[in-house]
Amino acid sequence: MSSEIAAGHAEQPQSTVERLHVAGLHAPTDAVLSVRDLNVRFNTENGVVHAVRGVDFDLLPGKTLGIVGESGSGKSVTSLAIMGLLPSTAEISGSVRLKGKELLGLSDKAMCEYRGNELAMVFQDPLSSLTPVYTVGTQIVEALTIHNPTMSRQAKEARAVELLAMVGIPSPKDRLKAFPHEFSGGMRQRVMIAIAIANNPRVLIADEPTTALDVTIQAQVLEVLHTAQEETGAAVVMITHDLGVVAGMADDIMVMYAGKPVETGAVDDIYYNPRMPYTMGLLGAVPRVDVAEKSSLVPIEGMPPNLIHTPTGCSFAPRCPLATDACLDGEPVLAAVPGSALHRAACIKSGSLGSDVDVHDVFSAPPVAVSRFDAIPRAERSTVLQLKDVRKHFPLTKGALLKRRIGTVKAVDGVSFDIREGECFSIVGESGSGKTTTLLEIMEFHKDQDGEVTIGGISNKQAADARTKSAMRREMQMVFQDPTGALDPRFTVYEVLAEPLQNAGMDKQAIRTRIMELMKLVGLQPDHVNRFPNQFSGGQRQRVGIARALAVNPKLVVLDEPVSALDVSVQAGVINLLDKLRAELGLSYLLVAHDLSVVRHISNRVAVMYLGKIVEIGEVDRVFDNPRHPYTRALLSAIPVPDPQVEKTRERIILRGDLPSPLDAPKGCNFATRCPVFAALPPAKQEKCLTLEPPLEPVAPSAAAQALAAQPLPALDQRFACFFPDGELDEDMLVVHESSDHHAP
Amino acid sequence: MLRYLAKRGITYVFMIFLTTSAGYFLAVSSLKPALLEQERIPRPTPEQVANSMRLKGLDPDLSPWERYVEWLTAIVTRWDWGRSPNGAYINAEFGDRVWISTRLFLASIILTLVIGVALGVYSAARQYKFQDRAITSYSYLAYIVPAPIAYFLVQLGAININETVGERIFFVTGISTPGIEPGWAQFVDMLAHYAVPTVAITLVGWGSYQIAQRQYLLDNVNADFVRTARAKGLTRNQAISRHALRVSFIPVAQSIAFTIPAIFAGGFFAEKIFAWPGVGSWSIDAISLQDVNAATATLAYGSVIFALGAILADFATTLVDPRVRVQ
Repeated sequence: MSSEIAAGHAEQPQSTVERLHVAGLHAPTDAVLSVRDLNVRFNTENGVVHAVRGVDFDLLPGKTLGIVGESGSGKSVTSLAIMGLLPSTAEISGSVRLKGKELLGLSDKAMCEYRGNELAMVFQDPLSSLTPVYTVGTQIVEALTIHNPTMSRQAKEARAVELLAMVGIPSPKDRLKAFPHEFSGGMRQRVMIAIAIANNPRVLIADEPTTALDVTIQAQVLEVLHTAQEETGAAVVMITHDLGVVAGMADDIMVMYAGKPVETGAVDDIYYNPRMPYTMGLLGAVPRVDVAEKSSLVPIEGMPPNLIHTPTGCSFAPRCPLATDACLDGEPVLAAVPGSALHRAACIKSGSLGSDVDVHDVFSAPPVAVSRFDAIPRAERSTVLQLKDVRKHFPLTKGALLKRRIGTVKAVDGVSFDIREGECFSIVGESGSGKTTTLLEIMEFHKDQDGEVTIGGISNKQAADARTKSAMRREMQMVFQDPTGALDPRFTVYEVLAEPLQNAGMDKQAIRTRIMELMKLVGLQPDHVNRFPNQFSGGQRQRVGIARALAVNPKLVVLDEPVSALDVSVQAGVINLLDKLRAELGLSYLLVAHDLSVVRHISNRVAVMYLGKIVEIGEVDRVFDNPRHPYTRALLSAIPVPDPQVEKTRERIILRGDLPSPLDAPKGCNFATRCPVFAALPPAKQEKCLTLEPPLEPVAPSAAAQALAAQPLPALDQRFACFFPDGELDEDMLVVHESSDHHAP
Repeated sequence: MLRYLAKRGITYVFMIFLTTSAGYFLAVSSLKPALLEQERIPRPTPEQVANSMRLKGLDPDLSPWERYVEWLTAIVTRWDWGRSPNGAYINAEFGDRVWISTRLFLASIILTLVIGVALGVYSAARQYKFQDRAITSYSYLAYIVPAPIAYFLVQLGAININETVGERIFFVTGISTPGIEPGWAQFVDMLAHYAVPTVAITLVGWGSYQIAQRQYLLDNVNADFVRTARAKGLTRNQAISRHALRVSFIPVAQSIAFTIPAIFAGGFFAEKIFAWPGVGSWSIDAISLQDVNAATATLAYGSVIFALGAILADFATTLVDPRVRVQ
């Protein structure tokens, strides 16, 4: 029994046997939360936006439902409608029943009896979701007071301590008196979870609870949510855009598009046997961190429809490669997929789709781009960027008039690497690891810098006058994270692209030709050059950003989180474009990204940074398949994979705590404070980690390979900085979820 | 906290010294009380004028630097801020005038703050409804209309009431009726004098607080933490009053703390129009009467008030915002 998404529409074609089966197992009294035909409309200046259109689901106690969709698909609005937290201007119709009691239409006051009591919610942004002027303890106690007015103060405080301990906050008793700003983002999200589970809710709604957090912290918070669910036995609604996050947690999935559920079913049905082209596209659009084989991602062209106009046909049809005229004739209903009563898809072709259909064929994913440099061995290609022992230390001072230096923040501490022609080199690490500072140091390009930066043969030590600098800028260009913020809203695309060309001294006619060329190159229509950035979608804006970077024909493009602000389906298109440009133009990339799946997909080599130092560097497949440094291992194990079977069986390393402040960097290995290997080492060996700094050393080929080879094998392209890479991991930090609480399909 | 206070205190004492000294040099080199003396009838001889000035410590023959040293020595050693050209002692007159200003402004500023903040909260909770539009429009009007005109209008209103009733209920100018016997009659007389300026200053003053409080609260009404509070089981109004209000009060508290010391500094227009001779009108009069010592003293006083306001504002912020810590 793996699904609780039961019949929504009575008119669905179902055999009597199936109907009885469903009715027997899902008597409405079983469901702790049932939603029927939920519709939400907002009155806006442009017309009525129909944000949620007919959502149905039943949630059984202790089960998890994942609601997946891109921004604007109506998933958050659905959750807020259930909670009764939408603004009063929203028109809500349908039915939401909690344990048989109708919630829709209740007054704000009447809803308060349920909110925070039987129905609780965790929000996306932990930084702004707690009131800054009250202590964490006050805010937890408040949640208890509202629903238990008779509880004594001591009892409430004891319960608050218990809750904080449950969500894994060290020394909970003292932390009660701390204010939210004294907690990190991950810690604040734990507090949010503590508040949500304070009154043992029956239903816990988590709206993108980990989107704002680093991967290692995401793993911790997901683990806490898991514990919270076990402790309270609550049913969980998990809302996310990340198919990986829900793969391991959810029992059922509901995929939403344009305000409507387009496919629902048990988690395995959705991941292994998707029957709706949109679901297939979403699954194909995400790169996998655990797969080395390179295939291009599936881009879903176009944009989600405007919900002001009622769709006359399938809302996905304009973006669907399989769409025919029949698809435009009325919106398809959510119908049972042949052969499975609980798996339902809103597609007239769902019968012909299934696990044997390759998504790459359906969406005609472009062929994998091959660069002319790929055939040349790395050592024979010329170097486009070289960093030698680059350091950036910020002095930390105290005092207003007489500044005393009380410490040093080593944001970047001796980083060296090189990038060859036609290569994509990535830097990964948590926020605060020094990735962005490294980029800034490269862009700075000043002769007084600590360390040497050589770009296209020009060193910062030679003569960093204005002319060398501008020569350097022609070699290297940058693409920024937020495409909206990086483009001047008062410049047309033509002006944005013309600016670097004018600086390079090109004449008007040549500029015009070049701009048309660039527009085609990045997949934009050339006649859109006179539009302003706000007339483009996010993905198109990022393409404009890429075109601007490419305008002066650089050899190296620095990409700072180029796709993190984009939706999954749009992201795939931009990644494919970057891949294609690298191959066609022979570009080199320096990529900084927090999404390791994207990094694995696009990079040739990768460096893992921790507290300003590179802890592991090498060829991307070597590092990802055979990570040697415990931090790399932890980072990789923290990334959720969009594959339920893999997610349920693999072991995870959950690092304790947050990235320490660079100020408290230990004398020996930076990572020792959080290291799972260090924690399991005998004290004698721990001493070495604490006193000596591990150097970055190459991985030796295995003894067996050495023995087989006639002459000594060359060193592999992988170096790491750890004394005990083969040490055992501390058991407390290892988590394996037994699949016993999940049923096989 | 004490260390912080000491540090800020020293900085401000230094700054006050600088502004006051600069003010003194400016006053002493541009204000010539002797010229006014010579316009008396019968016209005194220059020797008589110089003599009378010398007796009051305002010797016009000394260089500005010599007079500065003399003036400063008197303050440091005897806390004597000198005399006016008419012979009055600054120290004595100062005390009277500060007390008058304080009496004039104390009640109205408290009323201004309370009414302004309360109306701000009330109108924010009813954004775009009739009450909000009426209150906020009034506040903008009060913002635009020059204070003297508003004061005159209130005076006219009070006179109108007096005429309609046919009896003098309100006094539109002055502090008290001379020669009234103490007791109940004196109290009623005080109220009759007090009502018009207090109402006038309050009516003009609350607008800015209403606008600020409304704006800051609206910024927070839809904040994520208010949504969290509602998700805990508070109604929207409870969530706003318990969570948003406190946060939105942070910037308002700061400006309030800055205002409070200003009560003692008075205001020129109000004091002139309602004929309450306080510090505000004194500072302007001092310039027209070529009174070097009084002008400098009011300047020094203004600096002290400003410094106190700045320190109070810092304290107010640390009091309401736990994220700010005094170091």
